[in-house]
Amino acid sequence: MTPEMQIDSYLTALRLHLGPLTIAEREEIVREIAAHVRDSAEESGASVETILARLGPAKELAAQYRDGLLIRKASRSHSPLVLLRATLRLATKSVFGIFVLFCGIFGYSFGAGFVVIALAKTIVPAHAGAWVQDGRLVSMGAFIYGVSPQAHEVLGMWIIPLGLIAGSLTLLLTTFLIRTSLRVSQRLQSKL
Amino acid sequence: MAKPRAMPVEDDQSDRWEAQLRKGALEMAALASLYQGRLYGLEIIRFLENQSRLVLAEGTIYPILNRLKTEGLLTSEWVEAEAGHPRKYYSLTAAGRQRLRQMAEAWTSFSNGLSRLLEPVLERQEDLQ
Repeated sequence: MTPEMQIDSYLTALRLHLGPLTIAEREEIVREIAAHVRDSAEESGASVETILARLGPAKELAAQYRDGLLIRKASRSHSPLVLLRATLRLATKSVFGIFVLFCGIFGYSFGAGFVVIALAKTIVPAHAGAWVQDGRLVSMGAFIYGVSPQAHEVLGMWIIPLGLIAGSLTLLLTTFLIRTSLRVSQRLQSKL
Repeated sequence: MAKPRAMPVEDDQSDRWEAQLRKGALEMAALASLYQGRLYGLEIIRFLENQSRLVLAEGTIYPILNRLKTEGLLTSEWVEAEAGHPRKYYSLTAAGRQRLRQMAEAWTSFSNGLSRLLEPVLERQEDLQ
């Protein structure tokens, strides 16, 4: 392999592993690393092999770029998938992250649950709702077989707007919590 | 045959600790290297090698610069060198300068405290033998 080919294959691998970044960010990084390799070779006369070895494997270099970026980007996102992915990464790093991950999963499931009940009420009204027996809430949800006949349903059709409101609020609150936690973790990290 | 292996393992652990210590300080060191004016990546690496004995895997500095830039502590510009290709120069922003100042103060008081704590450890080196 000629030195040019070695550089090319290193940069190709780097580009590949920088996948999740935008094209502009990716090309900027590749351009900078290419300049580094050229400058190092001119300045020290070291072989391309040595220079690339000092940079470390392309995969690891790319991972160092991605690591910070995933969490930073997610802290500006609204997508539950992006947020949970970043939280998962955070959870591998700290106990705080694990706590945030649990809150996130809990919050999203509850929020989605409320919305599902509201929607189910519009489709199968008899099977969705909140039931009370002896003054206690015995079940709430959408059921295939219905609920024990002693319990009587409260709320009725009101569960549709209430479920939608409670669901949206829970989802919004969860999103807000995760984003704040990601931001706090970032600030902590950069202060260390 | 098992005995000679015991030492390298211990060495490896203290190496790892030292590597992490360096890595933690690297962000501040990168900011500090730009205190006098703009530099490009390789110059920052050389500066850190010469000024401090902060030997580093060259790859680690670039992702850090990238992060400091998105945090608004650094700005960068591509400048055409006289002979050949452009280089990406970094310089401190006002926020970067301020952060560096805070870091330097925190670091100094931290390391003074630790030095006092470690004084007796270093004085009694003969204990090791």
